[in-house]
Amino acid sequence: MAQLTINGRSFSADTDPDTPLLWVIREELQLTGTKYGCGIALCGACTVHINGKAVRSCQISVSEAEGSQITTIEGLDNAGQHAVQRAWIEHQVPQCGYCQSGMIMQAAAFLADNPNPTEEEVVEAMTDNICRCATYFRIVGAVKRAAELMASERAGVREVSDG
Amino acid sequence: MADLAKTLFEGANLSRRQFLVRSAATGSGALFGIAMGPTLFAQGEAAAAVAGKSFTPAVWFTMEQSGRCNMHVVEAEMGQHIGTALAQIVAEELEVDWNDVVLDYPGETRESFDEFGIIYSVNSGSITTEFDRHSRAGALGRMALIEAGAQLLKAKVPNCTASKSRVIDRVSGRSLSYAEILKQTTIDKKFQYPDDFQGVELKPRGDYKIIGQSVPCLDIPEKTNGQAKYGIDIFLPNMVYGALVIPPARYGSKVLSVDESEAKKIPGYIAAVTVPDFAGIGVPQKEKSLGFCTGWVIAVADKFHRAMKAAQALKVEWDPGPYGKLTDADILEESKRLVADSGKGQNWVLEGDVDAALKDADQVLEAEYTSAIVQHAPMEPRNATVYRASDGTWHCYMGTQSPTFARMTLEPVLANLLGSKPEEVKVAVHQFILGGGFGLKQHYDVAVGAAFASFQLDGRPVKLIMTREADQALPFPRTPSYHKVRAGVKDGKLTAADHHIACGWMGPRLGVGDWWLQLPPDDNPNGHMDQWSIGGSDHWYTMQNFRVRAMDNPTCRDALQVSPLRTVSNSYAFFVVETYIDEIAHMLGRDPLEFRLSLLSGDGERRGIPLAGYEPGTPSDYYLDRLWLSKPLAEENTWIPYESATVGGAKRLANALMVAAGKAGYGTRQLPENTGIGIAVSGAEEHQSPTWVAGAAQVTVDRATGRYTVDRLTIAADMGIAINPHNVRAQFSGAALWGMSQMIRERNTLKNGSIQELNFHTYRPIRLKEVPKIDIEIIQSGHHPSGCGEPTSTVVAPAIGNAIFNAVGARVRQMPATPKVVLAALAEAKKAETAKK
Repeated sequence: MAQLTINGRSFSADTDPDTPLLWVIREELQLTGTKYGCGIALCGACTVHINGKAVRSCQISVSEAEGSQITTIEGLDNAGQHAVQRAWIEHQVPQCGYCQSGMIMQAAAFLADNPNPTEEEVVEAMTDNICRCATYFRIVGAVKRAAELMASERAGVREVSDG
Repeated sequence: MADLAKTLFEGANLSRRQFLVRSAATGSGALFGIAMGPTLFAQGEAAAAVAGKSFTPAVWFTMEQSGRCNMHVVEAEMGQHIGTALAQIVAEELEVDWNDVVLDYPGETRESFDEFGIIYSVNSGSITTEFDRHSRAGALGRMALIEAGAQLLKAKVPNCTASKSRVIDRVSGRSLSYAEILKQTTIDKKFQYPDDFQGVELKPRGDYKIIGQSVPCLDIPEKTNGQAKYGIDIFLPNMVYGALVIPPARYGSKVLSVDESEAKKIPGYIAAVTVPDFAGIGVPQKEKSLGFCTGWVIAVADKFHRAMKAAQALKVEWDPGPYGKLTDADILEESKRLVADSGKGQNWVLEGDVDAALKDADQVLEAEYTSAIVQHAPMEPRNATVYRASDGTWHCYMGTQSPTFARMTLEPVLANLLGSKPEEVKVAVHQFILGGGFGLKQHYDVAVGAAFASFQLDGRPVKLIMTREADQALPFPRTPSYHKVRAGVKDGKLTAADHHIACGWMGPRLGVGDWWLQLPPDDNPNGHMDQWSIGGSDHWYTMQNFRVRAMDNPTCRDALQVSPLRTVSNSYAFFVVETYIDEIAHMLGRDPLEFRLSLLSGDGERRGIPLAGYEPGTPSDYYLDRLWLSKPLAEENTWIPYESATVGGAKRLANALMVAAGKAGYGTRQLPENTGIGIAVSGAEEHQSPTWVAGAAQVTVDRATGRYTVDRLTIAADMGIAINPHNVRAQFSGAALWGMSQMIRERNTLKNGSIQELNFHTYRPIRLKEVPKIDIEIIQSGHHPSGCGEPTSTVVAPAIGNAIFNAVGARVRQMPATPKVVLAALAEAKKAETAKK
């Protein structure tokens, strides 16, 4: 039985200790926003935050994840209104959408570390996440827009986005 | 969505009347339109039960008493935001407030089929085929609401108008909202397609308010917060998981024995299920008796992680079957042999006297072209969940490009297992949004596997998930192709083009019968032809003497299970056409832009279908109608409402080319050394749903390594009307990058009959870092709208190849053009240069 803290809540998961966190999140907790894409950390669809850092949840076992603060797309913001999510809607990023939870989690962790990135830094930070629909142009634009929204929030202004 | 669909289908097992009453009692008017429109019920009965509740003027939408309008999206939602586009089309004519619009995705039963017909999303054809009738459905709904509103307002119908979900009497100025109308009265009208749809007056296109607006796509918010549900996200009580043991060959392996001893040590392990191949059973199998799940063993366990472990632990012995030694090199050799054998194949296009013109030519270009095996690799691997409900209905949950064909496949498969007739088996397919489709998800092997596993487990719910490795080891890939082209020039002009193609034909895998395929234009006795596998080679250039001869490579077809992949054959056909046209231009010393424009004169059949409309019996449009528009199938003289999308023909392609070349700075921009701009055009999809596309690529080549960077892509495409320009731009750029990915790198290799690239380290789609600058021009000519999900992908590969030539003089004739290919082309160019000296 693994004890996990996910999105600020405690869960017990009845599972083998070597089960990748990805499958525990998806099957035991039925938080299906986190996606399976490749299983070997090549696509980024399963990205979650562990103690604030972007981690491929297919590569960490449930026993390794015990005692950490785990955040999934469902817990990024209670109302789904994190700056990255708002920017994603404003720029109409998703197509099929399957990779986008991972993209958003990657972008959110990146911007927390680097609130004012250059375009090159955005590309470098996001290039390990695959989008087969190739929404790439809008991803770059939306990450930059999210940085602006976060800067406004820090200044105490909440911008209303068009989306 | 899942819960709603579940409720619905469970509900459908009650008697119709029970279901109706229950739905009405719970006040869920929305339920009716989803899979079971009111016409399933006697009109009077329906009206009595739902008086004042909801209004479904046509099968594609239901308006609730609240005024909320549920659009029933009878297409697969796989990233193209088709639901939003169809809703915009209906809303435009219905005059419904956009804020009142929501989407749902009908499932599939035999009963729902009577309402919706075939649900099948392929070929970028949804808008082309649905635009007109969705417009008319919206208009009919508006007219009925105006009529009811006028009565309540005690006004004359001609004096009333509708806007923003209100009926307004222009004389008195009084108005009623649609919701108020539906609360006060029952509109007992349902319009049947096509008879009731004739003679409806549609808005002048200049008056559009919602069509042409980049409204936010309705499926996007749920794709940013983890709430969007894909097939892989379904959970059912008592559900178990299946993972596949990958067989030794892509197709044709046979299981000899399964040793479970190690797997049994894994906690939660349940069973090893050896799946029959069901050869000759089901929709795709009918024609050629192809099997589905050859050599499949499914490890079943209580959790997916354990199922994957069990799949590793099972010791399976196989006979790898007839293709167990096959390589991609063998397939290429066989294609070359077929092309060289003049007794094989049929003429698909035959204009003029090619042989005489070639004999008479001053100079002949002779060249070979190849394209590699590529696969779809959608981010969501194939998966399906199946169980048998207590009433005997089999429920299948999946995201599929055709819930209809999924049902039609499962019915005979299950009938075979149950020893009953297909029409006695009840199957309900529950549609989900798709994590990418690209053509792959018009296959049902995973549904058949899940259904068989469930059958073995007494109807228990089984979720079969293909791991990335299983999905990529068992693809339905694009066929590799081999082309031989000869072109003759005389007196500075192109006088003959002769294009020979061998590849695996896709029709048989899809169950396409002869009635759907084309006959050769001459009396070659070799039977029908699969236009899906050749289309694009019949380009829009005017040529005096032109032949396309094509042949099936059956080994390739069956060993690989070749199948449509985003634009089907157009991706490789236009690569070849646009490369050889470029080569001829250079051979003649003419500028490739000027040369192309001179051939895009729009003569004869290349004028497109004239504005006057549909000509009964026109072969290409005719079979499109038969596929999408009509059920039962249309007779030749059936009224076909839509104007053809091919209006304008080659002239529209020429216009797009001028726009793309101009925007790219072709011929006007000063370029550094080893940098070149190449151009290409395409009119995709078998002349039926053409979005007229032109592209330019700017490429810089490193002569020492053969590596190159794509610096910039320019795309100009005429699609008639862009329903949602922001989304069209997204589709155009995504498809262009798909084309680039195929040109720079994507390829599968085959060894011992098995695909070698099983994950993203060896099969490597384009990543963000490699993305060039892109400039997109949507040309809105005002003609009938066509599709945007695929077409722009076809021009990128040839434009890159032509740019490489313009940069360093190396002619690339292979797709993908890897650095190795470019180096070889550079060496060849150097050799030719030396020989000239």
